[in-house]
Amino acid sequence: MSLIEVSNISKSFKVNKRKSGVTGMLANLLVPKYEIRQAVKDISFSIEKGEMVGFIGPNGAGKSTTIKMLSGILYPDNGKICVGGKIPYKQRKEYVGNIGVVFGQKSQLQWDLPVIDSLELLKAIYRIPDEKYHKNLERFVEILDMGSFLHQPVRQLSLGQRMRADIVAALIHSPQIVFFDEPTIGVDVVGKETIRNFIRELNAEDEITMLFTTHDMQDIEKVCERLIVIDKGEKIYDGSLLGIREKYGTTRQLDVEFARMEQIAPIENVEIVELDALDGKKKRFVFENKKVAINDLMNYILQNYQVRDISISEPEIESIIRKIYNGEVVTV
Amino acid sequence: MRLAPYIAYLKKSFLRKSAYRFDHLMSILSTCLRIFIFWEIYRTLYGTRQEVDGITMAMVTTNFILSMGLDVVFGMDDNFIPGKIHDGSIATELLRPMSIKGRMIAENMGSSVFKLIFHFIPALLIAQIMIGILPPASPMMFMCFLISALLGYGVMWSISFALQMLSFWVITTWSITTLKNVVINIFSGTMLPLWFMPEWMDRILRFLPFSSIYFTPVQIYLGQLSGAEILEKCCIQIIWILIIYCVGDILWKCGQRKLVVQGG
Repeated sequence: MSLIEVSNISKSFKVNKRKSGVTGMLANLLVPKYEIRQAVKDISFSIEKGEMVGFIGPNGAGKSTTIKMLSGILYPDNGKICVGGKIPYKQRKEYVGNIGVVFGQKSQLQWDLPVIDSLELLKAIYRIPDEKYHKNLERFVEILDMGSFLHQPVRQLSLGQRMRADIVAALIHSPQIVFFDEPTIGVDVVGKETIRNFIRELNAEDEITMLFTTHDMQDIEKVCERLIVIDKGEKIYDGSLLGIREKYGTTRQLDVEFARMEQIAPIENVEIVELDALDGKKKRFVFENKKVAINDLMNYILQNYQVRDISISEPEIESIIRKIYNGEVVTV
Repeated sequence: MRLAPYIAYLKKSFLRKSAYRFDHLMSILSTCLRIFIFWEIYRTLYGTRQEVDGITMAMVTTNFILSMGLDVVFGMDDNFIPGKIHDGSIATELLRPMSIKGRMIAENMGSSVFKLIFHFIPALLIAQIMIGILPPASPMMFMCFLISALLGYGVMWSISFALQMLSFWVITTWSITTLKNVVINIFSGTMLPLWFMPEWMDRILRFLPFSSIYFTPVQIYLGQLSGAEILEKCCIQIIWILIIYCVGDILWKCGQRKLVVQGG
């Protein structure tokens, strides 16, 4: 049996639909109208111990709701979740001691207190033995480079600093499973890199199982091996990062810089994009590698036009995901 | 259930209370003012009479000083759960391996202990010097008063707990808690001692929990109840705690299923 077993969970919310303005307000006061919004529809997956799974989907896809159900905060309407033999929402108190959750948008730290005081409070709450507490603290502070702001009140921290402090707060009790809900939101490039390295190291060394939601595909590419994509509450992909490229990343693009301005006659199955609108020298040829043979296309271009530079690239994972979100790629 | 985490929260809430010194001094002043205003009102009402319906001015004074003092100590943070639901921080609270109810009690106790030591006792001393209150009927009665006051605290807490649970359904509970405070003020005997309630009102109040909060302890303090009556009244207090707590707990269990975490 897997460490995390999620079977057919659904969750819906009642949302108050209100027209704008004073009339809308009055109408709502007399006859409130509600709409049921299905946040999660019949999602199932399982995660093994030590796995690092990226959990992605557009805004409002139901990622956070799923994470909250997994962490025992929300009850699913239907279906069942079992993590390490426990049912999160039913055995909350016993369960949450073994997990850590980082909400990128919600701080778990005490706003007015220095970071270290919040951690001390967590030490009492989780009953962390002295030795383990100091060992963890020292290690995390070093990797995340937190020494300079450990004694500053949380309200005076920058977003990146706060996020690092929040990550430490979620991990100080050495949880076996960690859920990250957008841990890099609003963090600069260097900060993101630090956080990613930290997460990778933790997964590799301590075999911590992780589920990771984000909107930054770089996070996923650098951290996760497995990917679960959900959209409108439904799971649409579950597999390796490589797999998604093989399955959906069949387009190739050829960027060509011509010696002079060229008017290219349309080519079958190839989309031509102007890269430099001013002089028309740079053009991109986008095609499906199943429909168009790449050497035919290159030969055709090289024979007919004067070419200064040519490069071929695979699509970024981001553009694949964007296509999936937009429904351009039919998923099975 | 180990107590260490709860004690940590109790201490934190005690310390937080002490952070606002000016606010604290002002609240002592306001309690003293309230006591003086009521004293003046009752002095005028009593005029030259020694007693009304067998109740002396000294008893009335002792009643409102004690119950106003207890009212200060019993002050509940009615916004504990509603506030957390409103801003979505309930999510992080639920991640702690501890009972939220236990935490609520711990935090309330932290601030109550603070208010008992630094608010109730100073205000009581000032009132004692300026107005004077009756001494407890006997040391034994004083002990019973303390026990009954603790039970009164329990009744007050469970009322606040049960009402806060409504926030799972209505998000803002400000109006409900305001209503609660008014009802408690009137029916618990703080402003108007329950001795002076008309018969029909008295009969209704017997089936409501409000007299269990302040009035029972005060009656014990004044030695108005016999041993058997004390036992009976304390049992009534315990029954009220259980009933209201159970209602609150059912709401809590249903509410958790309905919980919507606001703000993403």
